[in-house]
Amino acid sequence: MSNDVMIYANDLTKNFGTFRALDKIHFEVSRGEIVGFLGPNGAGKSTTMRILTCFISPTSGTVRVNGHDVFDASLQVRESLGYLPQRAPLYLEMSVLEYLRFAAELRHLDRDAFRKRATSVVEVCGLAQVLGKEIRHLSHGYRQRVGLAQALIHDPPILILDEPTSDLDPNEKAEFLDYLKQIGKERTVMLSTHNLAEVEASCARAIIVSRGRIVADGPLDEIRGKSGRVRYVVAIQESVVATPYRGRGVPPKKGDVQTALQALAGVKKLDELPTDERAHAYELVSDRDVDLRPEVFRLVADKGWVLLELHRDAQTLEDVFRSLTIGDERRNRRLGADDGDGQDEDDEGENDEDDSDVARAGRASVQPAKAASDDRS
Amino acid sequence: MENILIIARRDLRALFNSPVAYVVLGGTMLLLGVIFFVIPHSNVFGEPVGGFWDIDHATMDQMFTYIPPLLSVFVVPAVTMRSLAAEKGSGTLELLITMPVRDSDVILGKYVAACSIVLVLIAATLLYPIAMFVFPWHLGSLDWGPVWAGYLGCVLFTCAAVGIGLMFSSLTESDVVAFFLTTGTFVLLYVMGAIASIFHGGVFSDAVDFISLQSRYRSFARGLIDTRAIIYFVSVAIVCLLVSSRSLESRKWS
Repeated sequence: MSNDVMIYANDLTKNFGTFRALDKIHFEVSRGEIVGFLGPNGAGKSTTMRILTCFISPTSGTVRVNGHDVFDASLQVRESLGYLPQRAPLYLEMSVLEYLRFAAELRHLDRDAFRKRATSVVEVCGLAQVLGKEIRHLSHGYRQRVGLAQALIHDPPILILDEPTSDLDPNEKAEFLDYLKQIGKERTVMLSTHNLAEVEASCARAIIVSRGRIVADGPLDEIRGKSGRVRYVVAIQESVVATPYRGRGVPPKKGDVQTALQALAGVKKLDELPTDERAHAYELVSDRDVDLRPEVFRLVADKGWVLLELHRDAQTLEDVFRSLTIGDERRNRRLGADDGDGQDEDDEGENDEDDSDVARAGRASVQPAKAASDDRS
Repeated sequence: MENILIIARRDLRALFNSPVAYVVLGGTMLLLGVIFFVIPHSNVFGEPVGGFWDIDHATMDQMFTYIPPLLSVFVVPAVTMRSLAAEKGSGTLELLITMPVRDSDVILGKYVAACSIVLVLIAATLLYPIAMFVFPWHLGSLDWGPVWAGYLGCVLFTCAAVGIGLMFSSLTESDVVAFFLTTGTFVLLYVMGAIASIFHGGVFSDAVDFISLQSRYRSFARGLIDTRAIIYFVSVAIVCLLVSSRSLESRKWS
């Protein structure tokens, strides 16, 4: 483990009773990275963050923050990070300034240091107007800012933010992401969210978790590009409206088009897109290494249909997210229900036998995890 | 140590910033006054004597007899329910615990804060003997020995009672539940004293009597300083604090 690894989690498992919230996850975050921690609700994001901040303990596995183990040196871990829990739970009866002073006292900042830090934090978080106000009278947006301010008051090298933008309106969100970029320049930031636009706006790297496992981890571009899937949109003329029909014979029926497209080699998935009466439009999905465009062209030309549209796009992050996190429902998270699937995990995910889409997509993405496991051995 | 004081100070400030502290302090003082002067009651030996004016004797016995029940059904539960249960419910505990503080600092900080406010209340009751026997009125010459013994008893009782309240506060996430569990326990401990007095001797009676807060406290109200009772109250406080601390830690493993 190099010195630049600020957050290190290996084989991290957490069970709540018989429910497995985290299942042997592994990741590392280096100095200066802003990492988006993504996943649907209940995927294990908050659990992971609570383990990193020593609020709860893992059932098994190793976690080191800034080089300190969460079991052996939990105070040092907490000293080196700033944490904003979900929904910013603050003492409502305190004023903003009182609250910041309280946080600073617990962080053992002396008076001068507090004054200096408070000035900068208040400026960065835009709190000057509300310093004297009781927190109960503040809007959610401002409470979130106060939460961020208390996390920053001691100038921590690591920031952990659990859904920091969930209560903000779009303007506040944009502002918040700007703050984040400012303060993230020299810090390690890990923020969880299920809003992908935020990740695209502020993070260079994303870790996607689903049902207690990491399904993708890497730079956004690579997650987007290497998700294993490519999407095509095909539109074929259906009826003659204003323009004369340029095809052979009569325009094709919907069923014919669908069957023919479905039959193309390499088509993994076919969905009808909503259109008006002029066209049949479909979305095709294929594996990355296959290019469907020549096939589609050949088919349309042979049939004598009229091709109105054909384009290929790499998936958006949203698509990747959906494909990675949906369809994982069948996996049983109850303990003791560890079937063959579980065995795969023991092999550090290098075993390629698992044929689920999710596993494949995850593996195709970049995995610094692998490099790290080599380091360890 | 520093952390304990920081946490305690914050809690106290929160209490005094809200109406809770004033309602509890004012209400208790008022009730105590009414009980002391107006309501007829029995002395520590169980003989009916009437209100303060009917006794014809310069004594603060009645006050010390009635402070613990008032504290336990009203004051201590109201103060301790906020300590941990309310913080758990609102989530603020998560932010507090993820600061660089030990779990024990949190528990002790909460304990010090809750004890402080109850002790402020007890100190305020000193106004009664002072007003009656020193200034402005001189109703007789009060024997101050039993008064100080009584106060020592009150302080020890507070230490144990706040411990019990804090323990229940640490076991639940709802302040209402914490309140009633605490009150219920005190009532039970009092009923135990009553049960013991029914049996008139015997091992069972002794055992029940030993557990009862009331019978431990009785000697102080009478002006006796009983070391066994001191050990009893201190042990209850320590055990409750240990349980609270464990219960706080248990969040990690649930």
